Amino acid sequence: MTQDSERLADRVSRRQFLVTSGAVGAVGLAGCSGQSNSGEGEATEADTEEAVEETTEATPQESSGGDSGPSMLTAEGSSTVYPIANKGSSYWNSNAPSSDGEYWGSNDEGQVPGWSDLGEPDMRLADYFASLYGFEPTGQQATPPFATSIALSHSGTGCKSVRDGLVDIGNSSGPITAELGISESKAKENYVDHVVGRDGQPVVVSKDIWDAGVQELTGEEVKKIYQDEITNWSEVGGPDQEIYVVGRAEGSGTDTAFRLNMLGDAEASMEGVDTRKGQNQQVATVVQQNEGAIAYMALAFTGPQVKPIAINFDGTTYEPDKDAEHTIFDSDYPLNRDLHQYTTITEDTPSGTDKREAAFINMFLTTFGQKVFVEDNNYIPLPTKDIEAQKEKLPSQA
Amino acid sequence: MASVTEPDSTESRHAIQRRLDRARDFVEDTEPEALAVVVVGSVSLLAAFLGFLLSSSLTILPFSVFLATSGYGWVRHQELTARALTLTMTASTILILGLITVFIFVEAWPTVTYESTTVFGVSVPGLRLFLETKWDAASPPIRYSMVPMIHGTVMVTLIATAVAGPLGVAAALFLSEIAPVPVRELVKPGVEILAGIPSIVYGFIGFTILSPWASDQFDLVGQGTYLFVGIVVGLMALPTVVSVAEDALNSVPESMKSGSLALGTTDWQTMTSITLPAAFSGVSAAVLLGVGRAIGETMAATVMLRNNPRIPEPLYNVFYGYETLTSLIAANYGEATGLQMNALFVAGVILFVTVLFISIGSQMIEARMKRKLGGSE
Repeated sequence: MTQDSERLADRVSRRQFLVTSGAVGAVGLAGCSGQSNSGEGEATEADTEEAVEETTEATPQESSGGDSGPSMLTAEGSSTVYPIANKGSSYWNSNAPSSDGEYWGSNDEGQVPGWSDLGEPDMRLADYFASLYGFEPTGQQATPPFATSIALSHSGTGCKSVRDGLVDIGNSSGPITAELGISESKAKENYVDHVVGRDGQPVVVSKDIWDAGVQELTGEEVKKIYQDEITNWSEVGGPDQEIYVVGRAEGSGTDTAFRLNMLGDAEASMEGVDTRKGQNQQVATVVQQNEGAIAYMALAFTGPQVKPIAINFDGTTYEPDKDAEHTIFDSDYPLNRDLHQYTTITEDTPSGTDKREAAFINMFLTTFGQKVFVEDNNYIPLPTKDIEAQKEKLPSQA
Repeated sequence: MASVTEPDSTESRHAIQRRLDRARDFVEDTEPEALAVVVVGSVSLLAAFLGFLLSSSLTILPFSVFLATSGYGWVRHQELTARALTLTMTASTILILGLITVFIFVEAWPTVTYESTTVFGVSVPGLRLFLETKWDAASPPIRYSMVPMIHGTVMVTLIATAVAGPLGVAAALFLSEIAPVPVRELVKPGVEILAGIPSIVYGFIGFTILSPWASDQFDLVGQGTYLFVGIVVGLMALPTVVSVAEDALNSVPESMKSGSLALGTTDWQTMTSITLPAAFSGVSAAVLLGVGRAIGETMAATVMLRNNPRIPEPLYNVFYGYETLTSLIAANYGEATGLQMNALFVAGVILFVTVLFISIGSQMIEARMKRKLGGSE
């Protein structure tokens, strides 16, 4: 019988080892499971959650960069910029004819937005934009004058890749100065910043607070709430209730942008934050489930339980309403951030943008591009004057 | 064999000589082809490992040679090949675990050196991780104190143990000593199945139902409390505790119990004075396992906590739950870069060391109890 108990004890020991190692394994798993789509978080389109590197390359013979024509244009970086760049790339590579109507040009069934602004060219999509910079049109479906490929990673990775010459264009949702830790002048010296669109970031409150009448805050009040100087809603005209302050994970692009734009410094402290969440979806749920909550998040996640509020900056009130005079969709709303495509200044291209890059980026800086690639992806299109300013950075057209 | 007859050789020389002789005998006795297969296999596996370390693209070549020789050896010289393969597998397991351990420590090192403090003129790496309580990865002064997370882990573990320990042991006692056989046969497997529910399921229930409820009932600012994370983790650990403790109680020899009953004790007296003490090693191992699970629990803690490292006031305030060592890693790995990433590895190292000690501790309790009860030793 001692033998019997011995055997069972052995079993216990073995099980114990397995479970203990299971506990260690769970710790390890934390690194692999969980928030699979955290990233920069803002991207709302389903396509950002697809394959990591979606090569939309249509003409393999040209991608080799050999003798048959210009080499493939490559871009990489932020998941926030990815939907814009990738949709542009898909359109580009399919090189639709001007009679398509849905993707390019016009026919009886419809026409693409901004078609008349382009002068209704009788050319295929990529042929047209490439020919503006002197490339020969191919006139063939799925065969653009040069192919484009957009890879998905992070803002920092995109900036590093363009710095090291691994890609032509680096996509970034934050300024390259912050991503690479370089000075403003050094960035100007080495990189050209092409802004292709904007990402909106409203401040939201939970429904009970909205119903209690807090529908507008000043920028200063929001700043004080996040820095723990205002801790009760009664201090800003709401009910006598403590403020539940929700933020995003430290070091995320959204967190940095909020510190920079709202608190005035990318390294400003945020003493007042009670909870940090890694994803917009989680922030939305937490605001929904709790009373007295305030948070900042991407536009697409607001809803009836998660109400965007108007923010008053220096006397100008930005309303969460598209028809208001100043809206939180405006480009001068301080919480909106530019979405960048960076190119490098090299010896070959002292202007910083070569013909291929210019042809591709120029496509986004048209009414057509802004509507189809920026607005349709739930981002904020650039106003006309900004488009003009961005076009100035491109080399002159052929 | 010849060496044994030599009169003036020392013990160690004896031993070495014997071993050499045995090896020689082995080589002589084995077919040269089988030997060649084993040697080629081992050398190619070593080469593959080297290639892996150098991240060479040619690693596949020696590895396929290894696979081919193993396959051939299995068919032609099964016994010797199996011996070599099992040895190889054991060695690889130890090697892989060792490499992972080394990697965690190496990755953690930059933050450890960043958080150095000078004590009596000597710079002690990593000391500030435990002396200060401030974690702030974004605004200067940047600090990666582990104290808030250690505090969180301790809180969650204590609460979870308080839930899983008494409940688990009581349930095990009932199942093993009191319950009729059909109940035991039905409930025990049921409890074991419960252990298989993924932790995110518990975490999800906690996040969507328990946390908002707690925040309403206790009038808290926002959601996320150590109390409820501890309770949920304790419930998660419960099946493990019940199952292991029941095994331990069940393994107490029937003769010991009968002896006690024969002396006129009641059932309850037998349980408390004979069965429980005799199974103490197993029962405490069960509770320690539960503790291990509570420390390592990640998903439930991550979704339910506030993910904002700080220490609640007062220290024992269980109604505000900020961060544990595991949830720190789970909540920040996606966004962390540089030193912040290395700080996550520091949390990993602390967890590693803690779980190691718990594991060793439970082994020692068991060994001690075995000696005390006069088992096989």
